[in-house]
Amino acid sequence: MTERPLDVLIVEDEVLLATELEFLLDEVGCHSVGHAMSSDEAVAMAADLHPDLALVDVHLRDGPTGVDVARRIHDDCGGVALFMTANVKRLPADFAGACGVIGKPYSQHGVRTALSYLTVCLRDGQAPGPPPIGLELAPAYARRWGLNHLHPAA
Amino acid sequence: MQAERAADLLAAAHGVGDPFAAAVRATRTAITIADAKQSDHPIIFVNDAFLSLTGYDRDEVIGRNCRFLQGQDSDPDQVDRLRRGIAGGDEVEVEILNYRKDGSSFWNALHLCPVRDRAGQVAYFVSSQLDVSDRRRAEFELGDTRQRLEAAVEERTRELTQALEQKTALLHEVDHRVKNNLQLISSLLLLQNRRVTDPAVKASLRGMLERVSAIATVHRRLFQSEDVERFDVSAFVRDLVSDMVGGARRDDIQVKLDLQRVDIAASKAAPLALVISELFSNALRHAFPIGRSGEIFVGVTRADGDLRIEIADNGVGTENAAKPGDSGAGFGLTIIQLLCQQLKARAETNSTESGTRVVVHLPVNGAQT
Repeated sequence: MTERPLDVLIVEDEVLLATELEFLLDEVGCHSVGHAMSSDEAVAMAADLHPDLALVDVHLRDGPTGVDVARRIHDDCGGVALFMTANVKRLPADFAGACGVIGKPYSQHGVRTALSYLTVCLRDGQAPGPPPIGLELAPAYARRWGLNHLHPAA
Repeated sequence: MQAERAADLLAAAHGVGDPFAAAVRATRTAITIADAKQSDHPIIFVNDAFLSLTGYDRDEVIGRNCRFLQGQDSDPDQVDRLRRGIAGGDEVEVEILNYRKDGSSFWNALHLCPVRDRAGQVAYFVSSQLDVSDRRRAEFELGDTRQRLEAAVEERTRELTQALEQKTALLHEVDHRVKNNLQLISSLLLLQNRRVTDPAVKASLRGMLERVSAIATVHRRLFQSEDVERFDVSAFVRDLVSDMVGGARRDDIQVKLDLQRVDIAASKAAPLALVISELFSNALRHAFPIGRSGEIFVGVTRADGDLRIEIADNGVGTENAAKPGDSGAGFGLTIIQLLCQQLKARAETNSTESGTRVVVHLPVNGAQT
């Protein structure tokens, strides 16, 4: 791909996870624009840096504020969030405006394929096919990207 | 007085020797007769049972209307029913609180019946009264007991619901921590793997990462299902194979899956996952030296009540693959042996120059779909 790399913001309070994610982003040709550890930091950085995608953990340094972060990134900053959480079942039905979720514990391969897939979705406004294993799309985004409620086999 | 005259008349009409009059006088049921043709229907006859029930003497009640039995806690609705029955000349049955001469109360099951003369006019009202205080008290106590029981059950249900909510919250919390910690362990191994350059160390780290990932995949799968006690082996294999093949970056190796839904007990999930991961990793890493393409088949089926897992490749065979000093593969085999012992599983390996086939049989007992 010769397109501009995806600008990605990492919102994660575990530094080791964030550090490894940065390496991974680099490997798949994404550009890591920063790393926030609390909700205030995350929203400020999203407003400031306008990332294409924000990878958002639900539990941050200031508590389970990730859902709120995703909503504010969507509502106030016009950005797209992707949850990365161990609490997939506790996300709101509308995904708080986020495009989907990668369940923890994720695999390197799972994150790689999800990021490549989302890069195409965000660039073309159209999904190249059903989402890869490990990525669950929010219903609103599945529709927006032409999937009509198509979900990966559970 | 008129009432006394009517009583005399009644006594005369049903004189000594009349068995009906004797029965009414002697019965243990309290009975009164009121004259319907006189104003305010005075009592003209009471039997002894009535006197002993109410505590009055005969001359205290003859000539009076029956309502002297009512008191402050007599239900006005019942009194009204009685009044309407009398006015309409109907038969009435009421249960009403009445009072004795000494002021004590009793529940009176009152049955009032009009008696008509030949012209069809109501001539008398015959009433029988039954003290049902004991039954009323028993009913009240029963109702009271039931109410208390219901309250106790409600309270207990509330406690249990609360306890369940707490337990569920705790389970979610623990699950969350397990998953996060597995993610942390994976990240540690990945980060170190990025640092080291020695191929042997890298291979060891990669092996450990695969094992941790297999356990992580189990945990991701475990809580996705409705039943946390059971584990869907096929869904796990699909995830694991996708991750491992994707991670190996060997486009020249095809994977063929034949997966039947088979559930096993959740407690066996992690050891079985490790066995499958080791076997698949062996095929992926050792069956096809760089430059040799091929296919790996993974089958999960149920056979004779056992879970049957088959992992077969058309690679170079274990004899050719085993490299001296490859301690990684040796450790993997040890893990498979030990865990099969633990699971009471049987593993058969068949390796030729045209590939390796390993079949694992695991007794699944009750934990199945």
